[in-house]
Amino acid sequence: MQTTFVDVDVRPILRAGGEPFEKIMEAVNALGPGQGLRLFATFKPTPLLHVLDSKGFTHEAKELDGGEWEVLFSPSGAPSKNENPASAAAGPDSPWPEPMTHLDNRDLDPPEPLVRILATTESMQPGEVLSALLCREPLFLFPELAKRGHSWRGGFEPDGKTYKVLVRIGEHSGSAA
Amino acid sequence: MVGVALSRWTMTYFAVALVALLVAECLMAAGFGYPAVAAGAPETLALVHIISIGWLSLLMCGALFQFVPVLVASPLHDSSLPLPTLGCLVAGLIVLLLGFLKLGGEIDLEFSYFPVAAALLSLGFALVLWNLGRTLWAARPLPLPARFVVVGLFSAAATVSLGATFALVLGGTSNGTLLNIASLGLPIHIAAGLGGWLTCTAIGVSYRLLAMFMLAPDLDGPTARGALYSGAVALAVAVVGGVVAIFAGGNLAAVLGAAGLLGLLAVVLYGRDVLFLYRARKRRKIELNSRMAGLALVNLAMATTLIIVLLGAGKFEHHVAAVVFLVAFGWLTGLGLSKLYKIIPFLTWLECYGPIIGKAPTPRVQDLVTENRAIKWFVLYFFAVWAATAALFLEAPMAFRGAAAAMLIATIGIVVQLVMSRRLVDVKAALRLPDGVRKPRLLFSRAP
Repeated sequence: MQTTFVDVDVRPILRAGGEPFEKIMEAVNALGPGQGLRLFATFKPTPLLHVLDSKGFTHEAKELDGGEWEVLFSPSGAPSKNENPASAAAGPDSPWPEPMTHLDNRDLDPPEPLVRILATTESMQPGEVLSALLCREPLFLFPELAKRGHSWRGGFEPDGKTYKVLVRIGEHSGSAA
Repeated sequence: MVGVALSRWTMTYFAVALVALLVAECLMAAGFGYPAVAAGAPETLALVHIISIGWLSLLMCGALFQFVPVLVASPLHDSSLPLPTLGCLVAGLIVLLLGFLKLGGEIDLEFSYFPVAAALLSLGFALVLWNLGRTLWAARPLPLPARFVVVGLFSAAATVSLGATFALVLGGTSNGTLLNIASLGLPIHIAAGLGGWLTCTAIGVSYRLLAMFMLAPDLDGPTARGALYSGAVALAVAVVGGVVAIFAGGNLAAVLGAAGLLGLLAVVLYGRDVLFLYRARKRRKIELNSRMAGLALVNLAMATTLIIVLLGAGKFEHHVAAVVFLVAFGWLTGLGLSKLYKIIPFLTWLECYGPIIGKAPTPRVQDLVTENRAIKWFVLYFFAVWAATAALFLEAPMAFRGAAAAMLIATIGIVVQLVMSRRLVDVKAALRLPDGVRKPRLLFSRAP
């Protein structure tokens, strides 16, 4: 079956400092069978690649001029891997409340950013959202968030240097894990 | 948005590698192999492979199984493979060493050592390449540090192919083509192994680790790209051009000279970037591992300068062993030991305290080490390496053995520090094992 692609250009949103995640997810949910998504962004949307991978899309990312990216997401035909996700993809397309707490961890020595984020999540209620700025993708943080039942979204800001992660506290928070 | 799990067997790789390093240093101190015997003698070959496969390659494999996923922000392709891979590599190395001992007349037992060693080592490295290659392939397009690793993996394939050819010839094959490669291909084997597989990969990983541990910006500029491209072309010239020169009867020395010049360009560009990283770091107080890595980088610069000077004076061939020694112990081993001094406490801390952060007070990563105690062993190590290099230049075998003994003592001191951090010895008793924390196992990490 030939894949047709729906174009979504989030570059204007990103340049204006906005958060295009909801718009991308709306577009993904509106796709029909055999339809794919052609995404234009101002940076390589690595976290999104993993989110859509878990929803059964393969991707092909291409760097355009000026550091911008075009990514083709094609339905792989495989059922999505995380039908009942416990952590990362927990309802990525439902809207999240505004963050209650903001952390700027950009100048901390590793692994202090991880420590501060995990420590802060312990004092928050289920459903609340924490936002944190970091100077790189916190790859070692994610497994710890998953173990604690929290969900997260993250990505580089348009400057390509600041990584912003949003953490939503899960139901298991507070229990002695 | 996946996370990166701890690689379960990375500590096992590090432990086996450190044992191989200690064995090699014992042998050097005891006067086994070069310079007591010829560079091409079976004893020397045994020693060289304990260092290059047992120590450096296993160290690199263990580090790559943990850090390639960090470089590309994707999980390892198959996390069940590293253990059987380690088994193949260690078994292959042992059989290879027995083959060299047989060759030197030290054991007398008929067995096809070299073909078996070639098969086991080829299988082991093929598993490494498959696992890391699939991980990298799935993460395209790759960030710059990961591209250095790709060049390193291609070089490893070339090194192993040539090594397997030598092993088949030593095992008694009479195939003319293989004999031809074996008689002339040794410099290509060394260039691809030390220059490509070990140095190029170490450079790639260091771009990311130095930036990560010193809070410096990730570099992806023209100098870093220049270093990558000149290094990759240098290796292609050395390996492809070298093999073509052997078959066509061309001038192998000229081909390797051209590759060497390109390789020097790569090292110079990399050196510029490293200086920039140290200057641009946000972390003013610089930890012991980064200071000691600086000494290893000085050794890389010294080796590079020596190569230029010796080539200019027409004396390179005469002193090649001393230069190779400086690359293996001053640069690669120096960098390896200094980065282990950060990586082992960091991975141990994450394994041990990660689950309870925020729920109970935890120590900091730096509480797992005591730098004031460790620094003397690192300083002794580097001085001993310089003394040993000088002894090789001055052709003083007894002085070399003394320096090797000092290297052995220093390495033991460093290994003790590494074991102490893994065993949480330096952590204050009140914080060491809060509820919910289990003491980490010495030789492997718990399943995530």
